[in-house]
Amino acid sequence: MMCWSAKRRSADYVDRRLRGNERIRMAAHLAQCDSCSQHVEDLASVRTTLRDLREPVAPSPLRTELLVIASRERRLSRSSALERLWSRWRFRLHEMMRPITIPATGGLLSSLVLFAALALTISTTTRAVAYEVPVLYADKIDPNLVPVELRSSVVLTLTLDGKGRITDYAVRDGSDSFIGDPSRLQYNNIALPEFPTVLAMAQPVSRDISISFTPLVFRR
Amino acid sequence: MARPLLGNPGTLSILAGIPAGLSEEDARILRGLRAGIEEAYQELIDRYEQPVYSVVYRLLDNPVDTCDVVQEVFLKVFRGVNSFREQSSLRTWIYRIALNEAHNHRRWFMRHCRREISIENEGSDRRNPLELASDPGRSPFDQALDNENRTLIERALARINPVFRTAVVLRDIQNLSYEEIAEILQVSLGTVKSRILRGREALRRELTQRPDPGLAEAMA
Repeated sequence: MMCWSAKRRSADYVDRRLRGNERIRMAAHLAQCDSCSQHVEDLASVRTTLRDLREPVAPSPLRTELLVIASRERRLSRSSALERLWSRWRFRLHEMMRPITIPATGGLLSSLVLFAALALTISTTTRAVAYEVPVLYADKIDPNLVPVELRSSVVLTLTLDGKGRITDYAVRDGSDSFIGDPSRLQYNNIALPEFPTVLAMAQPVSRDISISFTPLVFRR
Repeated sequence: MARPLLGNPGTLSILAGIPAGLSEEDARILRGLRAGIEEAYQELIDRYEQPVYSVVYRLLDNPVDTCDVVQEVFLKVFRGVNSFREQSSLRTWIYRIALNEAHNHRRWFMRHCRREISIENEGSDRRNPLELASDPGRSPFDQALDNENRTLIERALARINPVFRTAVVLRDIQNLSYEEIAEILQVSLGTVKSRILRGREALRRELTQRPDPGLAEAMA
């Protein structure tokens, strides 16, 4: 038997797992080879040392804790199949989520904080009280007011760009029109206030503003 | 050769090349667990608390957490008892769960707590008070020497590669057979032999490289 072969079998030899001829050949080699003999002796001494190591004694509270767990699990095992299934899946989910709970919670919280901070800038509603209501006075139907004919209530919808400038308007009385020049509104005796810039996600956005005109009829 | 059906709880019912299966004792406990019988839970704890504690204690880098890991092991045993396919002995199955839990905990510990420093004195004796009880048969000097040697061996064991350490602990401390270790680790018999041999060699190197006079006696 060669030394490499003897070393490969040394664990088996120390554990008395070699039988018959193999064991005899190994013993014969060890009788001749000091190096292998020393190697086997060292392994045997390691094995003896470990076997002599005293077993760590489980602390007595552990048994109580295990009995508590057993009691709880036993109660669960007696519950209905649906409850057991739910319990098992909850356990698996818990096991699966445990490593990612802290990063996931951190990520969720930070995204909520970020969203809350940006949400303050997302406001597309315009408070009418902040503006002077444009006043249009006419004691009779004036054709110069076309396209705003105040025969009845008229809703003027203004389209504003990000900087609050009027880019389009529509009159809800059947006649829509586009004007490139917002001063046309002034020609029609409609005085409009300046609109502030509205931000959403820190970016200026366009929006629509509707203004309702109701004719006041004075009777003499 | 017939496989013994009536197994001593502590003995292994595995023979070379024959699948383990369940002993009658295992089957009885298993039936009790599945039926939710309190005595079966208690018997399982009585039989496996100490061995599981011992193996987990040896495999963790931080034995302070042993109790937590043992509780996790038993929790998984109780919850997995219905899905246990009875292709191995109960002991093999429980040891496999214990090893997996210890491995997971060690990995978690390496990631999260490796750089933490315990407030406890590193040199302090962290053994169970029962272990510290004096042995009337030995002098205080002998006891101190034994403790010192044991500490050295445990530290050497903790320094070797966890893969080899697991095999050595199962073989030389838990006294399991090669076949049983192969089944627990789910590796071939040749791999088990190789790991045990390399583990013992590594341990011998660790023990002999330390210039401590106590080691000579530990290895003797």
